[in-house]
Formats: sequence, C-alpha cells, structure tokens
Amino acid sequence: MNPGGLRGFTERLGQRAAGGVEDFGYGALLLAESLYWLVLGRWWQQPVRLRAMANEMVEVGVMAIPVLSILSFANGAMMAMQGIYTLREFGAESQVITGLAVSVTREFGVLMAGIVVAGRSGSAIAARIGTMQMAQEIDALRVMGVAPVRYLVSPILVAFVVMMPLLTLLADSMAMLGGGLISMRELDISFATYLERVGSALTPADLWQGLVKSLVFGVLIAVVATTNGFNASKGAEGVGRATTRSVVLSISAIVVADMLFTFFLIL
Amino acid sequence: MTAMEAYPAASDEAIIEVEHVSAGYGAHRVLEDVSLQVRRGEIMVIMGGSGSGKSTLLRCLLGLHRPCNGMVRLYGRDIAALSGRQWTALRKKIGVAFQGGALFNSMSVGENVCLPLREHTRLAPNTMQIISRMKLEMVNLAGFEHLMPAQLSGGMLKRAALARALVMDPGLVFFDEPSAGLDPIVAADLDNLILRIREATEITLVVVTHELESAFKIADRITVLDRGRVLMTGSVAQVRDSTIPRLRNLLTRTAEQQPLDAEQYLRRLTGGTD
Amino acid sequence: MSFPVEKRQGFLVVMLAGEVDLSRSPEARKVIMKALKKMHSVMVDMSRVEYIDSSGVASLVEGFQYARSNNLEFALAGVSEAAMNVLRLARLDQVFPIYASLEARLEAGA
Repeated sequence: MNPGGLRGFTERLGQRAAGGVEDFGYGALLLAESLYWLVLGRWWQQPVRLRAMANEMVEVGVMAIPVLSILSFANGAMMAMQGIYTLREFGAESQVITGLAVSVTREFGVLMAGIVVAGRSGSAIAARIGTMQMAQEIDALRVMGVAPVRYLVSPILVAFVVMMPLLTLLADSMAMLGGGLISMRELDISFATYLERVGSALTPADLWQGLVKSLVFGVLIAVVATTNGFNASKGAEGVGRATTRSVVLSISAIVVADMLFTFFLIL
Repeated sequence: MTAMEAYPAASDEAIIEVEHVSAGYGAHRVLEDVSLQVRRGEIMVIMGGSGSGKSTLLRCLLGLHRPCNGMVRLYGRDIAALSGRQWTALRKKIGVAFQGGALFNSMSVGENVCLPLREHTRLAPNTMQIISRMKLEMVNLAGFEHLMPAQLSGGMLKRAALARALVMDPGLVFFDEPSAGLDPIVAADLDNLILRIREATEITLVVVTHELESAFKIADRITVLDRGRVLMTGSVAQVRDSTIPRLRNLLTRTAEQQPLDAEQYLRRLTGGTD
Repeated sequence: MSFPVEKRQGFLVVMLAGEVDLSRSPEARKVIMKALKKMHSVMVDMSRVEYIDSSGVASLVEGFQYARSNNLEFALAGVSEAAMNVLRLARLDQVFPIYASLEARLEAGA
C-alpha cells in the first residue's frame, strides 16, 4: 500500500473528517457534562469548588488585563487613524467617531478579547490538561472517584463565561480610549466632546451584541481547549500539537461564530 | 517467618474476580482470556515483562479500560454494571498508586495527599491535615508536605503517591511498579513499607511489577502474565519452582529466540514490497 | 448515637466503642474536646474499639495536642490490638500515654 497514492490520500482525508466529527462530539459531551456538574454537583455532594473557579478566573481574566489593554488601545488608535485618513477624502472625518464606537462595541472589542484569551488561556489549558493526561493525573482523579470534568472543566467554563464579558468591556473601553486620543488630536475636539459623540452614536443593542458574543466565544474557547487537552496523544510532542491545535481551532471557531452572528444579527 | 506462614489463609472471600477478560486497543489484542482472583488480605503480585499486558490488566481492574470480553468484579460487584454514583462510592474504598506517582503538579505534597479527604469527607480541616501528615509519616515523608511534586525524587514520588492512595483507609490498594526506576536500596525500602502496611492493616494489595526480586519478597501469590495470557498463578515457591519453559526464561531473564523465517525477515527489512 | 462519658475518681473517661470510622470520628472528636474543656484529666477507654481508622486516630491526636498545650492530662487505656496496630504504623504508640487498662491509671492516683 503506497501511502502517497490517491487511496492513501482519500483514506487520510476520511480519517481526518471522522476525527473532526469525533472531536466535535467529544466537545459537546464535555460541555454537557460540565454543565451537569455545575447544576447537580452540589446535590450529589460533588460540588464544583469555588476556589478552583476563582483561580481560573484570575488565570483567564485578571492575568489577561495588561496585554488586552495594550492591544485594544493600539487597535482603537489605529482604527481611528485609518478612519480619519479614509474619511478625510470625503470631508467626513468627524464621522469616524460613530464608526469607531459601533464597530468596536459590536465587533472588535469582543474579537480582541477572544483572540487574546484563546492565545493565552486556550493554549495553557490544553497544555495543562494534556500534560496531566500524560502523567496519569487524569486517571488518578478518576480512580479517586473525582470526575475529571467536574474538577477540571467546570471551573474553566465558569471562569470563561464570567470573564469574557468583563474582558470585552475592558477591550471596548481601551479601544475607545485609544481612538479618542487620536480623534482629539486630529479633529481638534475635547475629550468631553468625544465622549458625548460616542454616547450619542451607541445604543444599548450595540453593547449587548458584543456581550452576547463574548459569552459564546468564552464557551467555545473553553470547550476547544479542554477537548484538545483530553485528546492529546502521548508524549511531549502530542501535548505541543494539542496546544497549537487548541489555539488555531479556537480562534477559527471564534471568527466563524462571529461571522454567523454578524450575518444573522445585521441582516 | 515468611509471609505464607504469617497469613495462612487470607480469607477465601475474593475481593477481585477477573473472569475470562480479553481487552485491547482497536484491533490490537493485548489481553486474551485472563482469569484470576485476589482474596481479602493477600498481596497479589501481577508480574510480567513489558508488553505482557499487565498495565492493560491494571487499567481494566481500575475501570479505566473497558474489556471487550469477560467480567471484572470488585467487592463482588460487576464493575461494568455500576452507575456513576456507585462507582464513586466503590472508589472511596480503593487506593491507587500510579507508576510515576501521578501527583498533581500544581499542589504541594500535603495538598495532594489531602485531596481525597477534601473531596469525599466532611472532616474538619485540622483533622484532614493530621490524617495526611500521619500518612506521610507512614511512608517516611514526614516534613515534606510543603514541597511541590517537582522537587521530589522518583522514590519519594512513589511514596507520596502511596500516602495519597492510603489516605482514605482503603481496603484495596493497587500499586503500579513500586520499584521501577529506583535504585535497589530505595526499592527494597518500598517493599518493606508495603509489608509493614499490610501487617498493620487488613488491606488487600495488588502490586504490578516486572521486578522478580521485589515480587518474591512481598507476594503471597503471584500471577505471571505473558503475551496477554496468564502463564500461571501460584505462591512464591510454586512460581519459583515452576518448570514452564516460558516462565523459566522470564526467571532467568533470557529472551526466547524466535525461529527465523528468512523470507519474512527479508521482506520486513526491505519494507514489504515484493 | 454518641460516645458515653463517665466521671471516675477525678478523671473524665470517654468510652469509644465499635467502629470509629469516617462517619463517627467527628462525633468522637467533639466528645473528647468537650471532655477536655470540662476536666483536666481525660482518659479514653478504647477496650471496646473494634476498628479505628485514620480519622479516628486523628481525633485522638487533636485531643492530645489540645491537652498538651493547655497542660491537661490525656491518655489512652485498654487499647485493643487492632487499634494498636494502626497507632504503631503511624508510630503514635510512642507519642500517646497508653495504659494497659483504665484501672491501671486510676490506681496510680493523681
């Protein structure tokens, strides 16, 4: 059997597809089981620990604050500069504030937060769970009668669902701040005027759109990262691959979900 | 005084019953029709070289791997038929020390040992701490509770894992490869520890190992696995005096020469293109 | 179902019995601590203990620790072989004051 032949290719393609479906199913099961523990764990006297949730929140949310702030600030500033440059040709550069406010709150704030969290925590979680799998720590949990999903996945899920909206709000404000500084200089307005214009440009629906997305993104990143961690193949190489896969897949999932959202919310 | 004399009849009640278990990964069969019984209070050593299937057998016994055939009963209950909650209840009575320790890297040794208590009991925190320190004392790791697993040597990791396995006072303890990768003195220490624990408590121990010396020292009975099958089950003396050729090879550590098929060998070397 | 406590010649005697395991050791702990707060000499009669697990032993340790730091007397009496084995494994037989029986301590006087 020549592995390079057409048959080998279709075979591998088939395996890949089957693997993808399998991963998807696994992820769905993980999500269902971690929700089960969150809701019913206390009932069975197997609660999801508050301390574990708090730790994950610090890890996922608080630690992401510096890098997310800087990136969002820079991104907001760049968008303002590009906007002013483009709109100036039409003499409509003051419209940049409206565009900035709407696109940041609806789209870019949550996207920045998602990408930063996927890059930071998605990889770290996949690596952590993959390493635990390799060192038989997951088996150890299981034989102790501690469900690995309750112990490892549920706190992560909660942390993502709580922190993603907060991080999104942070990214929104930092991007608006960055855009504001540029606008103040280029349009020669005061910060108060800038804020006033932002306020009149935004509706609550704009903010909601971003926040709802952030919840979905949070769940997606959590599920993709943990799924890849649990399915990491043996060896350091396997964990490395799971980490990379986790980042690539969760960012892809975010972008695709974002596109679907925008499509259905705007049209 | 040998172990056999001290424990003439570990009660006949079987804690573990394995009946005609076959298991494998995908199409690859690793265990073929394995049956054995472990009685209450005995130390059963499951022995075999690498690839003999002993790790897979252990995973089947722990419910981490589902056999494709046959039945495993722990404390008289078919583990395939247990609900999640029944499993959890049963697992509180079972301790497992994994080969590499499998301690949680993000927690100190003390927190690791304490974990089963925290998850399964409502004891006062102070009581839990005292219990886990007692267990660490038992395995000669007193004073190491604040270290992180990464700071421990291989032998210490195994002892810490044993302390964690013992923390719920289980009636049944599995110990995977206690002496693998340790120097002889540390390994002998661990063997003594195992014997000491059994002497003091009514514990049933299943030890998986490929080390003959350790097996002969601690076992009441030995099950020898070879290429996925049970070669024999018997007392230390019975195994030592056995005349089964494969077993003699294992005991004298000589690899059996497979008769060479020149044709096939050549094909293997050239990558199978004919 | 609590463990009975009895006053005898200036001692408060806590009588542990049966299986002192995970489910009953919190009770044992409570009784022992209460006894220590009431009187400055407490004996634990263990002659009728059929089984004691680590949590039971830990309760004894806690009692002893409390007694030591408050200059009280705390001792075990009539420790059954099964319980003794558990104490020995944790080398606690060398830590607790242990008397062969309750009477052995009572006869010695204060």
